[in-house]
Amino acid sequence: MAKQESKYGVQAGEPVGVIAAQSVGEPGTQMVLRTFHFAGIAASIATSGLPRIIELLDAKKTPSTPISKIYLNESSKKSFAKADEVAKKISEIEMRSITRRIVEDFSKGKILVMLNAQAMQAADLTAGHAAARLKKDLGLDAKVGKHGNIVIGTHTKNLKEVRAIAVKLTKSIVNGIEGAGRAMVAQDQKTQEFYVESAGSNIEPMMEIDGVDSSRIYTNDIFEMYRVFGIEAARTTLALELKKTLEEQEISVNERHIALIADAMTSSGTIQSIGRHGLVGKKESVFARAAFEETVKHLINAAAFGQIDYMRGVTENILVGKQIPLGTGSVKLSIKREEGKKKK
Amino acid sequence: MSMQAEVIKQIKFGIFSQEQIKKLSVAKLTVPDTYNEDGYPIDGGLLDQRLGVIDPGLVCKTCGGRAKTCPGHFGHIELVRPVMHSEFAKIVNMLLQATCQKCHRILLNDEQLGAFKAEMNKELSEETPAAEQAQGKQAEQDMLKKLKSVKKCPHCGTVQEKLKFSMPTYFYVGERRLKPDEIKDMLAKISDEDLDILGIDSKTSRPEALVLNTLLVPPVDVRPSITLETGERSEDDLTHKLVDIMRINQRLEQNINAGAPQIIIDDLWELLQYHVTTYFNNETSGIPPARHRSGRALKTIAQRLKGKEGRFRYNLSGKRVNYSARTVISVDPAIDVDEVGVPRAIAEKLTVPFYVTEWNLEEAKKLLASNQYPMVINVVALDGKRKRILDTNKEELLKEIKPGYILERQLKDGDLALFNRQPSLHRISIMAHRVRVLPGKTFRITYPATIPYNADFDGDEMNLHIPQTLEAQAEAKYLMEVQEQIFSPKDGNVIIANGEDGIIGLFALTQDDTYLDKQETEYLLGTAGIREMPKESKGHMYSGKDIFSLLLPKGLNFEVQSGNDKLKIKNGSLVEGVITKRAYGLGGGNKLFIAIARDYGFEELRRFIARSSKMAYAYATMYGVTMGVKEYIINDDMRKEKEMLLADTQKKVDELVNQYKTKKLEPLLGLTLRQSLEQMIIVELDQARSKAGYALSRNVDKTNFAMLMANSGARANILNFEQMSMFLGQQATWEGRRIKRGYYTGRVIPHMQRNDVGASARGFISSSYVDGLNPIEILMHAVGARGAVIQKGLLTQRSGYLQRRLANALQDYYVLFDSSVRDVGNNVIQTLYGGDGIDPTRVNFAKEEQREKEK
Repeated sequence: MAKQESKYGVQAGEPVGVIAAQSVGEPGTQMVLRTFHFAGIAASIATSGLPRIIELLDAKKTPSTPISKIYLNESSKKSFAKADEVAKKISEIEMRSITRRIVEDFSKGKILVMLNAQAMQAADLTAGHAAARLKKDLGLDAKVGKHGNIVIGTHTKNLKEVRAIAVKLTKSIVNGIEGAGRAMVAQDQKTQEFYVESAGSNIEPMMEIDGVDSSRIYTNDIFEMYRVFGIEAARTTLALELKKTLEEQEISVNERHIALIADAMTSSGTIQSIGRHGLVGKKESVFARAAFEETVKHLINAAAFGQIDYMRGVTENILVGKQIPLGTGSVKLSIKREEGKKKK
Repeated sequence: MSMQAEVIKQIKFGIFSQEQIKKLSVAKLTVPDTYNEDGYPIDGGLLDQRLGVIDPGLVCKTCGGRAKTCPGHFGHIELVRPVMHSEFAKIVNMLLQATCQKCHRILLNDEQLGAFKAEMNKELSEETPAAEQAQGKQAEQDMLKKLKSVKKCPHCGTVQEKLKFSMPTYFYVGERRLKPDEIKDMLAKISDEDLDILGIDSKTSRPEALVLNTLLVPPVDVRPSITLETGERSEDDLTHKLVDIMRINQRLEQNINAGAPQIIIDDLWELLQYHVTTYFNNETSGIPPARHRSGRALKTIAQRLKGKEGRFRYNLSGKRVNYSARTVISVDPAIDVDEVGVPRAIAEKLTVPFYVTEWNLEEAKKLLASNQYPMVINVVALDGKRKRILDTNKEELLKEIKPGYILERQLKDGDLALFNRQPSLHRISIMAHRVRVLPGKTFRITYPATIPYNADFDGDEMNLHIPQTLEAQAEAKYLMEVQEQIFSPKDGNVIIANGEDGIIGLFALTQDDTYLDKQETEYLLGTAGIREMPKESKGHMYSGKDIFSLLLPKGLNFEVQSGNDKLKIKNGSLVEGVITKRAYGLGGGNKLFIAIARDYGFEELRRFIARSSKMAYAYATMYGVTMGVKEYIINDDMRKEKEMLLADTQKKVDELVNQYKTKKLEPLLGLTLRQSLEQMIIVELDQARSKAGYALSRNVDKTNFAMLMANSGARANILNFEQMSMFLGQQATWEGRRIKRGYYTGRVIPHMQRNDVGASARGFISSSYVDGLNPIEILMHAVGARGAVIQKGLLTQRSGYLQRRLANALQDYYVLFDSSVRDVGNNVIQTLYGGDGIDPTRVNFAKEEQREKEK
């Protein structure tokens, strides 16, 4: 490993972990949920400030406001029309948002879906499109009937089965990608390119769409990044999201601290949270865990299994009154001082 | 000093077996009572004198020590019937589920067992990476879960009955309840090998010990009784609980001996179980907590350990210290940034060790002989005994001292002290200052030093600690002194710098038209301790810039340009520009400090801060910086402009509302019409406010002191000015929405039209603080203020917990000599810290260096 030679390098022994923790934690109180007046972009409704930081460090399985950015390839990114086409393919429209009423005909085993013409128009959908989608997704015998309604044949007269299908119907989607949320075309301020932003996250199917540059696709869902691209992508996303959130609040924190936190959370190969279920809960030392949270539980388990605390960490050594093994305490070499003994 | 005899290398946990308890115990306790009528501990009672003594005058019957010297000794109670240890019930359940009910072997065939063993070994091995260890743990958990559903023992073929565990301590096989003695038998029959496979160290943690036959009784010192003023004795909660246990134990014994019916015995047994359970943990779920006579729940063993006020966090992670002081803080502009003013009374109490060696013996004797202020208070002899110096033993001690003795001397000027203000949110909440003994009763610090502490002088108190060993003093000096902390570890920006008076003074001094006569110049330089004169200009006058230049290090070259502001220092003299917060104050814009620290060192920078602030204060006083309401009263022209601005805004908002109502409004991308309107109005109102601020900065005289403060960055900004002189603007926005809720449908208060979405109906205030607010505006303002207070309270709580979690999670990471980051278990977190190994505290230095290289 080539070491960077610089006058301004870190000192050996420096407790960079604590410094990173303090650097991110200390400005926490300054994070007011300030209002931002970015006129126009739906993304400004995203969780921000301290709640977002906590959500990231907690390693929550899904963000409370998932947002994905779908960048387009060279041929599509210059044109709004092409971008809009992609957005239409992504934008998730639920059945219930376009239906007026669903009528079940149990005697014939048919379901009549009466559509809301206004909503259909707003969503730029046709009944044929919706019916085709239902056929494809649910394998239903959906056809466009009179007055632009959708008629579904269930091939059964069982009351329960018909009802189950009707329920399934209301929850199904008629357009776009499941979980993708509403998608919209946005324009990058810097490069002027068009891209699609959606208020949901399901990037795997998004990547399949024509015109999408799958190498640049982005979501603020750390776990989705992990599933699709692996731990390194998750680490980068985590660091990016932390950085972005802090910057939004006009808090300057050096990226080294953010990077260390992201590395710490992902260095095991999976995403671990900052807290009793993650990094702290998995510590080697019984005392370190006991001194954090769930004191009794950790002591009881240690006793039952006959565990050993090797006194290697910071907390354990503080508890017993020993010098901590970081900073000046990490130096193993020492000189034996012979006090008052005469030389010669 | 260091007399560390043994170093704790590791701590092993385990369970005391019955035999170990008996061996450890010095007394079998039989009497469920404490003191007799004469007030003496009863033999065989819970405060038996063999368990140690706490009353002065009594002698321990085990070690012969008195209250101070006897460490206390354990006793034991023999329970007539065994009871479960409730805290371990889950583990007992795991063991019972995992083993055969007849042959007591693990319910796995040999092949599965081998796989399981391998998984366990991998997990326990130190070489296994953390990730795989976690996987191993998961595999183990899954395996244990599977064991629950094994129907037939693969070893003896016995069909397993359904074993049910019910909190806190009940076990059933089928419908039949297992009694603790049966459980004990079952656990005892699990072989050592099988336990080891399950990850239990059979040598120290035999599970049958989890069913208690004997109960270890802690020494009296652990549960001291207190005597109230009335002479009444009050026992510790643990003693109370032990009395309960012994009483029931005795009754149970009597009933068994008397041949009482089984149902009565079972009831008493159950009661004994209850008392033992609550003795360990009085918050066990599923059972009511044992209460004191007053109704207060008893604080038993688990309660002593856990939580913020528990043993771990309160006494072990946080320790009380000696050689420290605490008092109110206040400012002192006359001392140096790296000094702390210490009241004489405190300086006389606190001590610094003077280590006597053969080379300083004479000095030591002189010090010891002194009867005046910095004098010796204690002498620590070679055996570590501390003697207080009195007039009577001084002569004797003078003869006695020799190398190896330690004299504890009173604190004096120049000693190092650590200064701290809670909450200690970052490492610069503790810094080393040099002591300056002063009259008065408060600690004194300078303005620049308040910033890292986040201190002000409205009654804040701070703590002072005196490092006692030479190592500690050296570390304080080289790592913790104030000048070392001028650049924040958070982002490398300046965190110790002048503000307020310190900036406005220099701002006024370095204006192009500032010229002072000889007397004024001499006075200014004198306050900063400079004994040379600048060159004369404009007759016999001296320019402000030249005077300021004398503060700068000789030969400094520096140039910075940000926007229209330019600061140019050539060969140690300020040739162009004015000192403002951007170049001289807190934050990332302060490149001047970086230049000084990089080329001249922190000591020089510290001197610059100290001397320049003294000069700034002197000039601010001389200049006559003063503030009053008059600064914020605007002239008629401005008033007219304000009215126009407000009318214009009103018009624009009205038009937006109109467009909205007639559905002509073009919605913003991705928003509904209503949301779009809201957004547009907020933007419009916000613009009105910034326009008002701009109008102010354009029209108000530059010599207006409020303007002076805002422009120099000393205090306040144009927004504050604008709110006082022009209008307050939009109040109570929450996540980008204006106030709209109220008890009255469609309006905030009944003084408004229903569904009015205009500016003033939704919290826009067009009055200024100087003019005063109308009642509706007052309400809107209060809504905003109340919201802010609630937010702040919530936020501090949440961020405090976040801080604690972060620190606990990351505290073991440090940089090794190869610049890699590892935890104390040697797991690599980063191969090169931050990707380049640069210290974040010095990033700005590195950046400057990079910039120069590129030039």
